[in-house]
Amino acid sequence: MDWTPAPRRPTAIRRQQNLALLSAVVSGGVVAGGLILLLLARVNPDTAAGLRRTTADLVAPTWAVLRAPVDGLAALAEGIGDYFGAIDRARHLETELDTANARLRAARAGMEELRRLKALMRVRSPQREVVATARIAAATTGTVVRTAMLAVGTSDGVGEAMPVIGAEGLIGRTTEVGRNAARVLLITDPLSRVPVIVERTGQVGLAAGRNQPTLQLIDLSGATVPLVTGDRVVTSGDGGVYPPGVPVATVVDARAAAPVLRPAARLLGAGFVTVETAWLPVPATEPQGPVFDAPVPVEARRRGAPTPRLRDADAPPISNGTGG
Amino acid sequence: MIAPPPPPALLMTPQERRRWLLSTWRYAVPMLVSLLLLLLMVMPVPLSVPAMPQLGLMAVLAWALLQPSLMPPWLAFCIGGFADLLFGLPLGVNATAFALITGLMRLMAPLFGRSGLMVDWLMLCLLLLLFAGLVGPLMALAGRPVPLLPLLLQWLTSILSWPLVARFCAAIQRRLAASAPSWRAG
Repeated sequence: MDWTPAPRRPTAIRRQQNLALLSAVVSGGVVAGGLILLLLARVNPDTAAGLRRTTADLVAPTWAVLRAPVDGLAALAEGIGDYFGAIDRARHLETELDTANARLRAARAGMEELRRLKALMRVRSPQREVVATARIAAATTGTVVRTAMLAVGTSDGVGEAMPVIGAEGLIGRTTEVGRNAARVLLITDPLSRVPVIVERTGQVGLAAGRNQPTLQLIDLSGATVPLVTGDRVVTSGDGGVYPPGVPVATVVDARAAAPVLRPAARLLGAGFVTVETAWLPVPATEPQGPVFDAPVPVEARRRGAPTPRLRDADAPPISNGTGG
Repeated sequence: MIAPPPPPALLMTPQERRRWLLSTWRYAVPMLVSLLLLLLMVMPVPLSVPAMPQLGLMAVLAWALLQPSLMPPWLAFCIGGFADLLFGLPLGVNATAFALITGLMRLMAPLFGRSGLMVDWLMLCLLLLLFAGLVGPLMALAGRPVPLLPLLLQWLTSILSWPLVARFCAAIQRRLAASAPSWRAG
């Protein structure tokens, strides 16, 4: 199907043969180079993170602009649809409001009691703080990973490992952050593990993504109460990234070996998402020098070698046979 | 022929040289079309399943079929590298897979266009399936094993959208061929 005519002159034929040979050699070389790059990524997952950030910086603002007219049309269609069945919905909402008010009255007494108890126990709870609000600008819906891009970055105060929360529930966490774009690891990504708690039973576990519309509840521990379909699963606050109490999913199949969950939020829906500060950021620990078995010579110490740290209880000696 | 080979540089008149320099963008059209379709793949579609077809890879394959000299495997490697950066994958996964599949396409090119469109389509389905099967081991090599079964849906949407992508690339080739400069007349 190649349209390029084959050359007729002998010199041109030879030139084309040489070029084909060169191209084959270069192609073999780049495939080998690609495998080496993959090994590099295995050793150091941060390989090319800067390049990825730059690409996101270039692409996310573009898509954020391009999707505006589509969003406008969708909002218009939604606005027209709202007029139909408005009366039925208002009646339904009124009954819902009545029940909710009744529950709120009952809860008010409990809240006051909880506040007093917390004051008594001197419980200190960190505050949730919204860093930025944005729309999802771009998303990978066609690869082995599930990430999205936001058109906010370090210039808006967004950093790595910050929770991304939508109106209906948890969306994911930021992974790579450029100047004007942030990549979000969605909770359905195979790498994502969200520490959760089942609201009804109090069991804790991990909501694991698997590149499918549903999540899996793994490593479930706690009281052995069987889950039922419809159990709500919220974040537990373990791990320090996600604040506790954010809806993650509901159980849709409780009988499976690993219960199947459906995410509470439409991950790539049209709504806005907020980026919050990490619930309990990992404290920055001072880098410590290696543990020396032998004393450091005085000459080396004069030239700035770190003082030797002796092996103590939490670093058992290798001769013990435990392997550290 | 969207970019005819130029006359020897020594024999070019200044006017011809200017025309040649102004027409060099034609050599980049296959790459640019592939990159454009890759960008289209990160469109924020509210899909909860990985169903977006592999538009970038299909464009690369279509150009490897239509213009083998303008889409060599090493260029497919570069385009795949851009896809890795775009999708946030370890650098080299798509790059290596794109290069391997394009090389295979190059070897199979004589088989295409002989036994009818359906046979071409079937061979392409096999190539895309091979790509989907190749991504798993490459991701495992990069230390991030992924489940491959969800990609079956993407394979289905890909093979369904192949005629569209191939027609799109062929239409571009026709348009460019109609306006290709001919050096004999100049």
